[in-house]
Amino acid sequence: MFRLSGGTIKAGTFLGNAQDVAGALSPGSFVLNLCRDRLLFALALAAAMLRGQVTLLSSDRSPEWLATLSESYPGLYAVADYPAPPAQPFSWHLLDKGSIRLTGQRVAIPNIPAAQLACIVFTSGTTGQPLAHRKPWGGLVERSIDAAVWLELASDRTTSVVGMVPPHHMYGLETTVLLPLHAPAATWCGPAFYPQDVVAALRSVPAPRVLVTTPLQIRTLLHASIDLPPIDRIVSATAPLFPEMAQAAEERWKTRVVEIFGATEVGSIAGRRTTADDVWTTYPRVRLQQANPEGETLVVGPHAAAYPLSDIVELLDDRQFRLVGRRPDVVKLGGRRASLAELNRILAGLDGVIDGQFVAPDDLDRQPAARLLVFVVAPERSAEDLLAELRHRIDPLFLPRRIFKVDTLPRNDVGKLTHQALNTLRARTSEA
Amino acid sequence: MDTGATTEIEVAQLLINTLHLDQSPGEIQPDEPLFGDGLGLDSIDALEIALAISKVYGFALKSDEGRAHQVFASLRNLTRYIDAHRIR
Repeated sequence: MFRLSGGTIKAGTFLGNAQDVAGALSPGSFVLNLCRDRLLFALALAAAMLRGQVTLLSSDRSPEWLATLSESYPGLYAVADYPAPPAQPFSWHLLDKGSIRLTGQRVAIPNIPAAQLACIVFTSGTTGQPLAHRKPWGGLVERSIDAAVWLELASDRTTSVVGMVPPHHMYGLETTVLLPLHAPAATWCGPAFYPQDVVAALRSVPAPRVLVTTPLQIRTLLHASIDLPPIDRIVSATAPLFPEMAQAAEERWKTRVVEIFGATEVGSIAGRRTTADDVWTTYPRVRLQQANPEGETLVVGPHAAAYPLSDIVELLDDRQFRLVGRRPDVVKLGGRRASLAELNRILAGLDGVIDGQFVAPDDLDRQPAARLLVFVVAPERSAEDLLAELRHRIDPLFLPRRIFKVDTLPRNDVGKLTHQALNTLRARTSEA
Repeated sequence: MDTGATTEIEVAQLLINTLHLDQSPGEIQPDEPLFGDGLGLDSIDALEIALAISKVYGFALKSDEGRAHQVFASLRNLTRYIDAHRIR
């Protein structure tokens, strides 16, 4: 179910609306879902499946990347709830919230084959182009059913889900779009961005309530000194939540704070109660396997191909693990990952750049205002100029907040920049 | 307590302090977009700015459908919005 300030949309009505949208969609095999509104996003996703079209989901909306997508997926078109910005590489199908019916139109639940490809979700690859992750419908359904069990959703009542995370991100997709399609849950489709929005949203939905959020947003809610109506659970993901913050939230709002562990390529796979344990336990039907002695951990689940985790974990058994860390090249901001190698390759490809390096500050995980830095050797170019060019090529979250022009980068004999050399460089700039 | 008109310079200083920007207040152009092409801020920044605004000016931002984009469209818009809503 989907909740709006004007009413509740039940399954039959949702499907009726989805059929209408499906009938109006453009022909084609691939559709890029850019809808910001959660209900329109869900309708566009369902409509695409009814038409046998595959939905592409991407956080990166940079013009260069959209052009690449358009070349890689012939006939690709976009579905969105805002008018097309100028110079789009594909056609644009505009959805209007005003045309949604809130009642009636009971339609039977369609039979979507488990093997039907529902979405392709993109993540930053560690060695160049972003990677496409294929999500067959069956795997998404099974994982949603598992998530409902793990979250201990009541079976005899509808749980209200208020999500602060966007639906095109894997975490938001699973918790706020797929969960209400497969479990007794109703997702809030109004604004839930600022703390005041969240207060209003939680007040307008009935208990039991679940708030789906992130560490940075929990921090903002705590600082905003607001009172929230009773919440059954706060669910956090996208970055590690510090136990002290989880504790503060539990005490402040008399709730339980749970964390979900997942990644775009494998989806949500495990969880823990942050204040109780540092050990993660997988969803009921997800299992972990050590692929080789020194290396990767494989994730196995119903209707999902075995896939290696990009995080380094210490396996306790096939359902329990501790998180050791991320692979050194990967940086994470706002729930999105980027590979420093890939960013460096983009930087090195700019005209006039002789050498350059993206650097992640040590407090990237803790400090909301922390962003990447760039050290660059480019005597002929200005920092503003380089930044303007990077803007067309990379996700805004990973744009450097500062670009330092240097004469040379302190590379060692094999051409590497050691951690120590970078620290020295950074120390010098903070003195300046 | 200062209850005079909110100035662009003071809001620019708030943005710089909140987001650790490497600029001086006068360098932020009043009509330049704060997100995307201008300062290049993102949604995490918007939350941080909202929090800072509530602390300094005593009111909380809300997403009145569609208005959020307008409020953050430029330093000038943000300043006007703060001036119209501040309670301290």
